[in-house]
Amino acid sequence: MISCKAITKSYTKGANTVTPLENLSLKVPRGEFLALMGPSGSGKTTLLNLISGIDTPTSGSLEIDGEDIARFSRKQLTSWRARKVGYIFQLYHLIPVLTAFENVELPLLITSLSRAERRKKAEEALDLVGLSGRSDHTPGELSGGQEQRVAIARALVADPALLVADEPTGDLDRESATHILGLLRSLSREHGKTIVMVTHDARAAAAADRALHLEKGKLLTTDPNLTVA
Amino acid sequence: MLPLTYALRNLFRDKSRLAQTVGGSALVVLLVMAATALNSGMAEVLSASGSPRNAILIGAGSEESIQRSEVSAQLGGIAEVGIPGVSTILGTPAVSTEIHYMSFLETAGGGKGQGLFRGVTPKALLVHPEVRIMEGTFPRAGEVMVGKLAWRKLGLPQEALRPGKTVKLDGSEMTVSGVFAAPGTVMESEIWTVLGDLYMLAQRDTVSCVVLRMETSDDFSEVDLFSQQRLDLELAALRETDYYAALSSFYKPLRVMTWITAGLVAAGAVFGGFNTLYAAFASRIRELATLQAIGFGRVAVFFSLVQESVIACLGGTLLASAAAMVLLDGRTIPFSIGAFTVTISPQVAVTGLVTGVLLGIFGSIPPAIRCLRPSLPRALRS
Repeated sequence: MISCKAITKSYTKGANTVTPLENLSLKVPRGEFLALMGPSGSGKTTLLNLISGIDTPTSGSLEIDGEDIARFSRKQLTSWRARKVGYIFQLYHLIPVLTAFENVELPLLITSLSRAERRKKAEEALDLVGLSGRSDHTPGELSGGQEQRVAIARALVADPALLVADEPTGDLDRESATHILGLLRSLSREHGKTIVMVTHDARAAAAADRALHLEKGKLLTTDPNLTVA
Repeated sequence: MLPLTYALRNLFRDKSRLAQTVGGSALVVLLVMAATALNSGMAEVLSASGSPRNAILIGAGSEESIQRSEVSAQLGGIAEVGIPGVSTILGTPAVSTEIHYMSFLETAGGGKGQGLFRGVTPKALLVHPEVRIMEGTFPRAGEVMVGKLAWRKLGLPQEALRPGKTVKLDGSEMTVSGVFAAPGTVMESEIWTVLGDLYMLAQRDTVSCVVLRMETSDDFSEVDLFSQQRLDLELAALRETDYYAALSSFYKPLRVMTWITAGLVAAGAVFGGFNTLYAAFASRIRELATLQAIGFGRVAVFFSLVQESVIACLGGTLLASAAAMVLLDGRTIPFSIGAFTVTISPQVAVTGLVTGVLLGIFGSIPPAIRCLRPSLPRALRS
C-alpha cells in the first residue's frame, strides 16, 4: 500500500536549511494500522503529511497503491487526496458553521454522487461512528469525543483506502480516547483500511498493529515493548 | 465547489464584521447611486430643455449665455416675416420674443431667493408646448407665473408662491397669477412675467433672444441663413438643443467632482473592506487548509470566500437601494439655472447592483489570496 524509498524533506528557514526527514524508507502493507511515535520535532507529522499528500518530499519516491505521489502536481495531489485519503486531526478541524451531517457530507460534494447517494453515505458513516442521532448538531453542541467521531466519519465517508490520523486522541479524556482507538482498530480490521497514526501516547500506539519510532528525521526500529492489541 | 450554505453561514460568525462589511458597501453603493442619479438627473433636465424644432436668435458673442445677450426688440417681427419654415399655429407664427433675467424674488414673509425670470408674451406657449398651466392663469401686467419647482430653486416655502400671493421683484410688488409645469425641463424652475414688465424692471430696451418653432428640425438652416444675411442685426443662430448641450458641458466639472468624491470614498471603503475581510478570513486559515486537505481545490475555497464577500456586499446594496429610495428618490435639487428631480431609475439601480458585486469581488480577492497563500502543512498548524 505505502512504499517510501529514501525520502528526504528539507526546507529553508531564514538562512538555514532544516531537514525534518532524511533518507527515510518505509513499507506499510494494505490494512495495517501503523503508529508513528517520537519526540516533538522528530519528523512524524512531516512523514504523515507526505504520506497523505499534504506535502511533497524534496527527494525520494513515495508510492501509494502503485502511484508515485511525489511526482504529482498540487492539483493532482488535491484530487488524489479527495479519492484516496481520509485525514483525522488532533483538534478535529470540523467546520463550525456546518452540522455534523454537513461536515461528513463535505468530501462527497467533490464526487459525482447524487444528493440522495450523498445523504445515504453520510448517514451510514455517522451510524458507523455511533452518532446518527446527532447529525443535526453543530460541532459546538458536541463533546470532544463526539467531534472526533464526526471527524472520523468525515474521513471515511468517501471510502478512502488510507486513513491518516495526527494525534487523534491527544485532546480527549481517557474514555473517549479508548472509544476512538477502538473505532480506528475496527476500521482497520473489519473494513480493511490502512491507518497511519501519529501519537505521543504509548497507550494509543498499543492499539496499532505496529509502532515505529522516529528521531531527528530518521526511523528507528519497531518498539519491541509494544504488542499488537 | 463548496456549498453556498457554507458562505452564507460564515457571514453570521462575527456579526460586527458583517455589519462593517454590509455598512461599508452600503455607503459606497449609496454614494455611487447618488452620483449616478444626480449626474443623469442634471444631464436629462438640460437635454430635455431644448426642442430640436426650436431655434434661438441671440446676440452674436453671447452664445454661451442668453442672459447676457441683447438683440433688437423688433427682431421678433422681422424674423416672423423674414424666415421661411416657421411653424404656424391657428394662423399665428410660433415666434417668442423673450428677456431672460437673473434676479432676486422676495416673498411677503421676508424670504428671498435668486432665480431666472423670463419675460414673455402669450406666444411663448406656442414655442414651448411642454408648458402647461396647472393652476391660475397666464400672467398679465403686474403678475408672475411660477414654475412648479421654482420654490425649490429659490429656496422659499412652496406656500409663498401659490396663486394670489404677493411677491417682490427688484422692489416691485407683483401677484402670483398661476403655477405651470414643464416636465423635465429647467423652465419648471423659472418665473415668467409679462415681457413689458421685465423691460422696466431690467431697465433695458432690448430683448435677450427670439425663439422660433420651425416646421421641422431641418428648417434650422433657414434661421442660420437669416442670421448670416442680416449682419446689421449682429445675430447668432443656435439650435435650442445645442444651447442646452453647451450648458450641460459647462456643468461637466461639477459632475466630475461628484464622481471623484464618490471614487475617493469608495477607495477608502474598499481598503477598509480589505482589512475587515482579511481579519475574517485570517481567523479561519486552519479551516481553509482543512477544506483543502479533504480534497477541495484552492480555487474552490477561493471562490467560496469571494462568494461570501459578494453576498455581504449584495446585502449592502439592498440597504443602499432602500436608503436611496427613501432619501433620494423624488428629491428636487437646485442648481444655478434651475432644479431637477432625482430619480432612482432602473439604470441607477443597476449601477448600484454592479457596484455592489464589483466591490464584493475586488474587495475579497487580495485578502483571499493572502489567506490561501501559506503552505498546507503550515496552515494546518496555524
